[in-house]
Amino acid sequence: MALLARRALLGASGALALPQLAVGQPARPSITIAVQKISNSNSLEMLREQSNVGGRIFYSYAEPLIDTDWTGDLSLRPGLATAWRRIDDRTLDLTLRDGVRFHDGRMMTAEDVAHSFGPRMWGREGSPRNPPPEAVAVARRSFPGFERIEIVDARTVRFVNRTPDVTLEGKLSRSLATIHSATAYDAVANWNEWSRKPVGTGPYRVAEFRADHHLLLEAHDDYWGGRPPLSRIRFLEVPEVAARIAMLQSGECEFACDIPPDQIVEVERNPRHEVVGGLISNNRMITFDRNHAVLANPLVRRALTHSIDRETIVQALWAGRARVPAGLQFEFFGDMFIRDWTVPEFDLTEARRLLRQANYRGEPIPYRVLNNYYTAQVPTAQILVETWRQAGLNVQIEMRENWSQIRERTPNRALRDWSNGASFGDPVSQTPQNYGRDGIAWTDNEWRNEEFGTLSALLETSTDMAQRRRAWVRMLAIAEREDPAWTVLHQTANFTGKRKDIHWKAAQAFVMDFRARNWGA
Amino acid sequence: MVRFLGLRLARALLTLVLVVTFAFIVLRLSGDPALLIMSADAPPEAIAAFRQAWGLDDPVWQQYLRYFTAIFRGDLGQSMRDGRPAIELVAERVPATLALTLPALAMKIGLGIPAGIYAALHRNSFADRAVMLLAVAGFTVPSFVLGLLLVLVFAVQLGWLPSGGQDSWRHAILPVLTLGIGGAAVLARFTRSAMLEVLGQPYMRTALAKGVPWHVAVRRHALPNAAIPTVTIVGFMVGSLLAGAVVVESVFSWPGVGRLLVVAVANRDLAVVQCILLLVATTMVSANLIVDLLYGALDPRLRAQAKGANG
Repeated sequence: MALLARRALLGASGALALPQLAVGQPARPSITIAVQKISNSNSLEMLREQSNVGGRIFYSYAEPLIDTDWTGDLSLRPGLATAWRRIDDRTLDLTLRDGVRFHDGRMMTAEDVAHSFGPRMWGREGSPRNPPPEAVAVARRSFPGFERIEIVDARTVRFVNRTPDVTLEGKLSRSLATIHSATAYDAVANWNEWSRKPVGTGPYRVAEFRADHHLLLEAHDDYWGGRPPLSRIRFLEVPEVAARIAMLQSGECEFACDIPPDQIVEVERNPRHEVVGGLISNNRMITFDRNHAVLANPLVRRALTHSIDRETIVQALWAGRARVPAGLQFEFFGDMFIRDWTVPEFDLTEARRLLRQANYRGEPIPYRVLNNYYTAQVPTAQILVETWRQAGLNVQIEMRENWSQIRERTPNRALRDWSNGASFGDPVSQTPQNYGRDGIAWTDNEWRNEEFGTLSALLETSTDMAQRRRAWVRMLAIAEREDPAWTVLHQTANFTGKRKDIHWKAAQAFVMDFRARNWGA
Repeated sequence: MVRFLGLRLARALLTLVLVVTFAFIVLRLSGDPALLIMSADAPPEAIAAFRQAWGLDDPVWQQYLRYFTAIFRGDLGQSMRDGRPAIELVAERVPATLALTLPALAMKIGLGIPAGIYAALHRNSFADRAVMLLAVAGFTVPSFVLGLLLVLVFAVQLGWLPSGGQDSWRHAILPVLTLGIGGAAVLARFTRSAMLEVLGQPYMRTALAKGVPWHVAVRRHALPNAAIPTVTIVGFMVGSLLAGAVVVESVFSWPGVGRLLVVAVANRDLAVVQCILLLVATTMVSANLIVDLLYGALDPRLRAQAKGANG
């Protein structure tokens, strides 16, 4: 009884000490972010949630070994690994950061890293926590040459690839390559439970997730990067754009995401609000089915690429806030960025010449379009059809309800909308998985070009940078000029409405960063 | 009575089978769940793994048979998007939806029926025209527009109420109003026209000629007779308690059955859609059954007809 009383007293004194600690720290605000969607798959585990909306949330609760300068130039920088060193073309050693604590209070160890790239990613014989087969398939595609991960010592892990890979560092910066607590993982009953409350190292921990409604994150005060500036972040799912704007205007949320360009003026009409954001590493494009009777002739596809007034689309529908890029590539590709490359010129005379040469007689070309899945998708399609008509092309819009109907393999599949994004600074992060031999267009039998397929494989495995660059130049020439697989319309932009008094910088991606370095109010 | 109930139940079961079959055919033939749930950018091998895991490569008739036999074992399947049992997902959304639709139903009945009766009893008066003007406005404005209008006034301009979410009872006020106003308007119009028809009937003239006071004639003769079409509409409203807030739940970010249905249909998450449809169809069929029974209670002539038919 006396022991109990002493314990009670100790507990009470501890509780009395807590407010004093709190007084010593400045009070932190909580914020609400209105988003169109929190997670498509009802999962917070990025192995399963490979989407733009997933990219928005993960960075607050989970981190990869190699970080990306999201609000800067998108270059790679130390994350949970402070340094990395190439042993050879297939092997990479990474030095782990000291003092990283998981949300469950444990310190990060090399075993946790090995687990994150082991059972968490590939599963374990007979374990009830194994990821679903589609998540394993995503992991396999993201690390196609993965052989093993070794623990060199307590602070060093070694990645070993089966094949040479110069983009291993980039791949380790992806959202699915985040590091999680092995102990917390092994404590859950099944993978679904884990995927709704993953335990990572980010500045905020998952407090509550109600699918299709909200995700509540709480400050992780032991965060290695310093005390998080916010006490709570609540992502609230508000599907309608008008309702998101209304929430911002009524002061119920501090951020309203996915603001379409035509609503920017509406948001900024209120002097307390502004719209931030801009170009992101994603390009909108049209992709061609070369099996279609008319498009089988590359001259017709070339005519299509020359009769697109991209600047008008950017000015009219994006208020000049998007831009026409140098083909399907980004400046942050670094040495792999082909600086003097351009999209096909808007030249109706050339388009008409090509059509004459192709002996095109006005046969209809179906164009499958979703109802504004992409920002301003339908008006973009209408502008396109009009300039195509001026060139003499008979393109007919066919509205479809979903992606399954868009990609359905039928003889009348010809043109469709798409977007390709790059998750790190190399064309490998966007093109092989979409147009290479194992890519979507190839396996869907939409577009195949043997030379392109060979070059795509080389791009993935070659370590000779000059050779890789030459391959990429040739790939662009094939897919954007000679035997068009796609034609880029414009680089995409993403806009977020926010309170003007909050100093926060939007990333060049869907990622949102709420660390102390990117917050001031 | 037993035969009547038996026939009704058989018809209800047939309706449920047809609903499930129709939904299965439409959903399975209009989109591939693997592509919709995994996204258009998912690697082909991930799509293939998903399809295999959920048996989507099997012939459609086999999938249908599998689904149907599972229902009879009491297994409504698992959500392909979520991995959880569909019934669990739906059940946890039902209270949220009822928290909107039940107060809205009370508002519809409490406002709509008295307004309709009042308008009919004061036909062509200023009050009648005012009620009808409001009623026409109430049911012609789509709930999407009405909801946003209320948000603009009460959340953005006045700052009195929250515009979305489900954090407190205050969050339910605007969605309940949005649902209630439209429904009350419909009921007001129906009640008014039913009352007007009854008020012109010979038995009303007879009752008044016999010296029955106006208010007694209205209470004893007009109201019970006018109740039949009104009960039909109320029955329909009761039947749509679970799925009648699809648009409103989306506008107000309310995580109910309606939002779940929208997401499940968009993703072709068949088990969840079927589970909701079964629930909605069961509610609707039950409501219809109750309405049929109420007809007999309300109208002695129908009881007499039924007895005559039986005897």
